[in-house]
Amino acid sequence: MISNQKTVDRIVEVIRWTFLTFVLIFALFPIIWTFLTSFKIELDIVTSDLQYLPERITFDNYVAIWTRSGFPTLIQNSVATTLMTLVICLVLGSLAAYGFSRYQFRGRYSLLLFYLVLRMFPVVLMIIPLFILMKNLGLLNSSFGLALAYTTFLLPICTWMMKGFFDAIPPELEDAARIDGCTRLGALFRIILPLARSGLVATGVFIGIAAWNDYLFALMLTTGVDSRTWPVGLALMVGEFQLPWGALSAGGIISIIPVMILFGLVQQTLVRGITAGAVKG
Amino acid sequence: MNNTSQSILKTILLTPIVVLGNISESRRWAYYLIFPSLLMISLVVIYPVLNGIGLSFQEKQLTRPNRDGYVGFDHYVELFTDDDEFWVALKNTGIWVIAGTLSQFTLGLCTALALNKSGHMTKIVGVLVLLPWVMPSVVAANIWALLLDSRLGVINDILVNMGLLTDYLAWFANKETAMASALIVELWRGFPFFTLLLLAGLQGIPEDYYEAASVDGASRWDKFWFITIPMLRAVIIASVILRVISLINSPDILLILTGGGPGDTTQVLSLYAFQTAYLDFDFGYAGALSVVMFAILMIFTVLYIRASGGVTEE
Repeated sequence: MISNQKTVDRIVEVIRWTFLTFVLIFALFPIIWTFLTSFKIELDIVTSDLQYLPERITFDNYVAIWTRSGFPTLIQNSVATTLMTLVICLVLGSLAAYGFSRYQFRGRYSLLLFYLVLRMFPVVLMIIPLFILMKNLGLLNSSFGLALAYTTFLLPICTWMMKGFFDAIPPELEDAARIDGCTRLGALFRIILPLARSGLVATGVFIGIAAWNDYLFALMLTTGVDSRTWPVGLALMVGEFQLPWGALSAGGIISIIPVMILFGLVQQTLVRGITAGAVKG
Repeated sequence: MNNTSQSILKTILLTPIVVLGNISESRRWAYYLIFPSLLMISLVVIYPVLNGIGLSFQEKQLTRPNRDGYVGFDHYVELFTDDDEFWVALKNTGIWVIAGTLSQFTLGLCTALALNKSGHMTKIVGVLVLLPWVMPSVVAANIWALLLDSRLGVINDILVNMGLLTDYLAWFANKETAMASALIVELWRGFPFFTLLLLAGLQGIPEDYYEAASVDGASRWDKFWFITIPMLRAVIIASVILRVISLINSPDILLILTGGGPGDTTQVLSLYAFQTAYLDFDFGYAGALSVVMFAILMIFTVLYIRASGGVTEE
């Protein structure tokens, strides 16, 4: 009986790893393929006789995308937009999240629910009036305007994630600080925010990645070269280069490197933050 | 003298902080905390949404500004009675959402179950499978455009070598395969989201439950069906709703890969609304389309939450 159980366990384990191997191939192969393609010379990409591993390695694609396409400007614009989005969302979102986490007040539950429902509004429905609004305010084609547009979907998410992190900090800590003569504001800045640091970083990374990756808002709200972000630039590049695959792959790899590094660094806290919001809410 | 000026300077610099500190002692402190974000949301979400709903009752075409004006329900009437593309897009949205959610949920759940074990390797795999989820839609779409390219695509090559395909296929240009191919791309990008949430849910189930069930002689299947699934209910509901919202609302992948084609085989509502607004510059009609989308989402969410027995807070 016991050995029987062991056999079953072993079979389950084999099935588990076989399955995981397939999932892993499915998840990673496209990324690896892009990575390999970015080092191939054009002739080897378009050859009818497909090369799996690049036989001749070249950095030309990286040079091409960096020099020929205004990619540095695109990256700069993306960095500016992402940073502004981060500041707006983290400041406003953390304050609100702290309020939701610590205080009972009339309308608290409805407001929280409202922050969730906000995600349901179709992006297209918002983009048209946002476009008109930004145009009237002179914010069209500006990083700041785009950052404001990103707060439409990122501020509610930020609030929910930060609320989860604040909930995990015992309120007794503030009580103690207040007995020692701290104001509520003092308690927030001296006690709670330092404790919620990893949560702030994780939320920041999540918001940063979302802003960095966005395509739709950027496509609509920036038309000029001076404010265009890299996803839009990369998409337009398909038309600019004759056979774009090498350069496209190189561009793709450059733009996902920061995402992967940041995600890897804060992956555990980030996962905790995202799941806490969804699991509890 | 120097001392006084220093203390004056100190007072000036510190006053705002003291004032803010005092404000934080008032009874309305919680409201003050939430107010700035609420103000921002009113400006960038509520105002545009209301404005967009308003637009749906107006004629507003950038190319024909002389026609602007209030038209009542005209756009909605035209949508439902005189627009074949709308019905095609509605049907495709149904396929897109149902097939997309089911496939992503299934793969995501299986992966989460397989990852719900301790061990270094399992942990590493758990991080690696999440990578497609952080991929930008532009990169994801172009990666797959290359993988499935009709001349250079490696997937064609593999399938032909394996004997599963006789000739290279233009996956996105073919009416029979375009939708399925786009769904594969969306599966790739979407299943890690379910894995992430469901794995967290799984790890929250107390081990005792399974042990108690083992004592009672429950099989693996019994445990899965009577412990795992019920315990995951809240997570499943939340993750499915979030996924459906994003599948209905974001046309990124289809916009980049197919543009709704070939024919109208991959035309979905979000993409149709988007094209109406930014290719035809018909803001009024696009507004009406998005309001219909929003209504569908609301109805779905309410029905789904009802059907699954409701969610309670915390």
